[in-house]
Amino acid sequence: MSKSNLLFDVQDLAVKYPNGDFALHHVNFTVESPSFMAIIGPNGSGKSTLLKTALGLIRPTRGTIKMMGYDSVRDGHKIQRMVRYVPQRDQIGLNIPMKVKDIALMGRLLKKRPPRFASSKDKEITRQALEKVDMQDFWDRPFPELSGGQRQRVLVARALAGKGSILILDEPLAGTDAESQRLIVDALEDYHKNNDVSIVMVTHDLNPIHRMVKNVLLLKRTVIGIGAPCSIMDVDLLTKVYGPTARIVEYAGHRYCVTHDSGMDRHE
Amino acid sequence: MNEIFQLFTIPFFQRALIASILIAVVASTSGSFLVFRGLSFMTSGVAHAALGGAALGMFLQYSGIVPWFDPILGALIFSVLVAVVTGYAGESGISQKMEVAVGVSFALSMSIAVFLLHYIPPTQVPQVWGYLIGDILLLDNLDVILLGGTAAVLVLIALLFNKEYVYVSVDMEGSIAHGLNARAYHYMMLITSALAIAFATKAVGAILVYAIMVAPAAASNEIMRSVRGVMVTVFIFALISEIVGLAASLAIQASPSAIAGIIAALIYVVSMQVKRIRERAASNQDFPEVEDLSETFHESLSASAEQAHEHEHE
Ligand SMILES: Nc1ncnc2c1ncn2[C@@H]1O[C@H](COP(=O)(O)OP(=O)(O)OP(=O)(O)O)[C@@H](O)[C@H]1O
Ligand SMILES: [Mg+2]
Repeated sequence: MSKSNLLFDVQDLAVKYPNGDFALHHVNFTVESPSFMAIIGPNGSGKSTLLKTALGLIRPTRGTIKMMGYDSVRDGHKIQRMVRYVPQRDQIGLNIPMKVKDIALMGRLLKKRPPRFASSKDKEITRQALEKVDMQDFWDRPFPELSGGQRQRVLVARALAGKGSILILDEPLAGTDAESQRLIVDALEDYHKNNDVSIVMVTHDLNPIHRMVKNVLLLKRTVIGIGAPCSIMDVDLLTKVYGPTARIVEYAGHRYCVTHDSGMDRHE
Repeated sequence: MNEIFQLFTIPFFQRALIASILIAVVASTSGSFLVFRGLSFMTSGVAHAALGGAALGMFLQYSGIVPWFDPILGALIFSVLVAVVTGYAGESGISQKMEVAVGVSFALSMSIAVFLLHYIPPTQVPQVWGYLIGDILLLDNLDVILLGGTAAVLVLIALLFNKEYVYVSVDMEGSIAHGLNARAYHYMMLITSALAIAFATKAVGAILVYAIMVAPAAASNEIMRSVRGVMVTVFIFALISEIVGLAASLAIQASPSAIAGIIAALIYVVSMQVKRIRERAASNQDFPEVEDLSETFHESLSASAEQAHEHEHE
């Protein structure tokens, strides 16, 4: 079905917001599919912008970004059919009385035609997805009344329940405790292994996912580094991105990256 | 008792009752979604734009520039313009920007109305003000039929596209990313609402329209916990306000719109109180047992202190 085996094929990409700032410039990289890919970088480094551009939500100012061979501008709708997207949590409107099930079912219903009725199969799959993140007991609870971490888990379940061979998550671990992180990461890992699904996630902390990650993209308005996690955990590179306070500490066989921005990052 | 029964046989009262139900339907199928979208303010903007548009229509008609131009055409065009400008400002999904766009078009259309009033024959001026004040007791059959058509279309759209409207409001970006043509639904929602508001304004006046479109939806959104629940209660709240308004207008010679507006506002205030009381009740409910962990905590503290000592000795 797909036109190419490259999850991402980015050529000379630049993205400028209307206020004139370049959020991204001279971005070039490729990632093979399937992958479990992490995008890291300090706040404002263009991580969310890169994802939105890839999904066709923002037009590149220059260059191209392709997913599985499809151009984000010309074939945006084809990309959108393949992808399930978890936006940064603060993008979700909370003044609408939606239940947890309504939000979680969105993932499946959005890929149907109006009037988008939920079949019993849709409900069953959605329920299973909520179970994976341990939110099944909240099925009938109002979504705006959940805590931040619980909302995040529901959004991950929404993506897990949906259809499409690529999962894109923008900071799914932000504001979650260790237990929620474990649930989310395990669900993603499980999913990646069993369903031949590529996962792309933005994160500030590689620790919880470093076992699974195949490619890490280090971004600061342009590509600073891309490769296996080991090659990214390099003192010079991280100092360049996170500033002179970034250090790497070796301890008990793990390498930790210590910064003011992101706390600690461990890698073997 | 008999007198009340006789009321229902009087045509103007029948029309007012039917119109009340239809306006409540419009509030439920359009007002609810506008409140979800954070756009209740658009109702008053569009209703006033309809007034400006009607004034323009009347000016064109009576000055002989465009003799066939019915005022309602002007009202519809202006309303849609407001919806489009608002929609354009809010394409990114940010509702604050839309509020500003509504405010500007509101001021513009009122200014146009007042400016043109000067050039409209004095005999026609009351018809323009009718768009503002209106009177549900003075409807003719055509008004009721137009309103009925509007309500029917809105119900159909709400049945077909309620999920899309909600998705666009709750997560515009996520919806687009999943392949939803969110922009089309965004504009469809604003434009159909605007047309409905314009027709309703023509029938019963801007004041009743925004009393009934905004307050019941805001009230329901405070107390209901599902989209369907909100829509049903909006209908009920709107209908109660209007019926009380009608009854009061007959009993004490008051404007039904004014009374309905006051009732709707009261319902909103009461709903906020209900929500607060409910929250307080919920927070008093089954206070969880506190497991006393302080001892464990102290033990662990002293244990770690001991450990620290040991380390020092090493
Ligand atoms: N809608 C917008 N309009 C103008 N500038 C924007 C907009 N969104 C983002 N930017 C700018 O683009 C740059 C990159 O933003 P982006 O949201 O992609 O960063 P990020 O890496 O996702 O950051 P974070 O870790 O905080 O989520 C920032 O400098 C930001 O100010
Ligand atoms: Mg971001």
